[in-house]
Amino acid sequence: MGHTFVGYRRPDGTVGTRNYLAVIPSVFCANTTAQKIAAQIPGAVALTHCVGCSQVGLDLELTARTLKSMGCHPNAGAVLVIGLGCERFDPQELYDAVKATGKPVAKFVIQEEGGVTNTVARAVEAGREFAWQLALQQRVECPLGELMVATKCGGTDATSGLAANPAVGNMVDKVIAEGGSAILSELNELLGTEKYLAKRAVNPQVAQKIYDAVYEIEDVLRGGLDFSLPANRNHLISRGNFDGGVSSVVEKALGGVHKSGTAPFQDVLQYAVPPHKDQKGLFLMDYESQDGEVVTGMIGCGSQIVAFTTGRGHATGHPLAPVLKITGNYKTYSSMRECFDFDASGIISGEKTMEELGDELLDLVIRVASGEQTAAERLGGTELFCVARRHGYHRKDPEELRRHARECGECD
Amino acid sequence: MLRRSLMIHPADSVVCVLEDAKKGDTVRPPDGAEVTLLEDIEFAHKVCIKDLKKGDPVYKYGEEIGYMLTDAPKGTWIHNHNMGCDRGKK
Repeated sequence: MGHTFVGYRRPDGTVGTRNYLAVIPSVFCANTTAQKIAAQIPGAVALTHCVGCSQVGLDLELTARTLKSMGCHPNAGAVLVIGLGCERFDPQELYDAVKATGKPVAKFVIQEEGGVTNTVARAVEAGREFAWQLALQQRVECPLGELMVATKCGGTDATSGLAANPAVGNMVDKVIAEGGSAILSELNELLGTEKYLAKRAVNPQVAQKIYDAVYEIEDVLRGGLDFSLPANRNHLISRGNFDGGVSSVVEKALGGVHKSGTAPFQDVLQYAVPPHKDQKGLFLMDYESQDGEVVTGMIGCGSQIVAFTTGRGHATGHPLAPVLKITGNYKTYSSMRECFDFDASGIISGEKTMEELGDELLDLVIRVASGEQTAAERLGGTELFCVARRHGYHRKDPEELRRHARECGECD
Repeated sequence: MLRRSLMIHPADSVVCVLEDAKKGDTVRPPDGAEVTLLEDIEFAHKVCIKDLKKGDPVYKYGEEIGYMLTDAPKGTWIHNHNMGCDRGKK
């Protein structure tokens, strides 16, 4: 008999671990209006951001994709779309995408409503009706296989690769064994592990996708470096990583991949694009960059819960999905206790086995998926909602990037 | 004083110290002789357990995590001041 959790079953068949009314501005110009609206409705969250206009190409596409994926996410039980009116990302596109999922949605455009005050008044009236509907919804029992766990590390130190990441990997293996899914990403911190990752691909096509994704990210990084600037502007890992005993991006990567456990990689997902409905198991999401953009992308891929490891300590959360904070550093756990949900340091002290930690973490994941609050939720953190950017980079022929990797001895 | 340490893979040239350690303290890799630390080394940081020459690869997790920028006799703290890595840069 497999594990179950209790979640919110949506009209499109997906399952939410939370039941928020999401207030989503289609452009940053509507941020304050969205915040005023959310503040007046119980259970509402405003997903404010700094994009939606003056963007072109892939950069604008990433914005559109991300905002639509948040609105369509099963943790949003209902959605209010707030537009300005002249922005490049059309609020109607966001409204239509959410409407197609079958959940309650309404749209208010500031230039059409006649200003902020009118927009707030009308959106609050509609939002309170939605909130009432959400309050009547019940959680129902769902198989663990409905869960997709996002894995992420931030504020990494050398204990992350020894304790917290392997504990998450053990839990991920258990979720996948019961038909569930998980995502690994932040390819900029997987440099040097591409051979190991590709060996775990389900087929040669997926293996090639993994190589190509890592080589492209490496090309993006190379293109962004500027050696005329101070040396610390070109470091690929953070000051805190160095302080915590991590000396290179490859050392960080070799510790980071343990978050993904041992299952085969089913596919490489694009940023904030969920896998096909019949695909389950472990995925790699193709994106680099900072914690918020990566976490938001994985939630956009359908993750309803995030397992976030940190050695240095982290104070962040996401407005739509619970983010579990897990550390293998007993000093950090003791000094920042309020920020943590799970202590994995027992594997370093010798008090616990990895199997025990994996079982305890799975139990916590199920409780939190079923409604138990995380430390980040108690502290009110929402800063992990960030929309990915990609500008000034022109994609290269994959064969050119493979040739460069061969010349650097990074490819067989 | 013997300090707790962890060697992750048999091929590794470094071990992690599992408690703050002082110059003159020792670590004992699973199947090797004790190595005396040549400097203070903080919790979770690395010490080399064999003599390394400039240009030598450094192994942790059984994989190359970088290469030596200087010579380092065993017992040396290995970190970004004496180890480099070119991934993502060249």
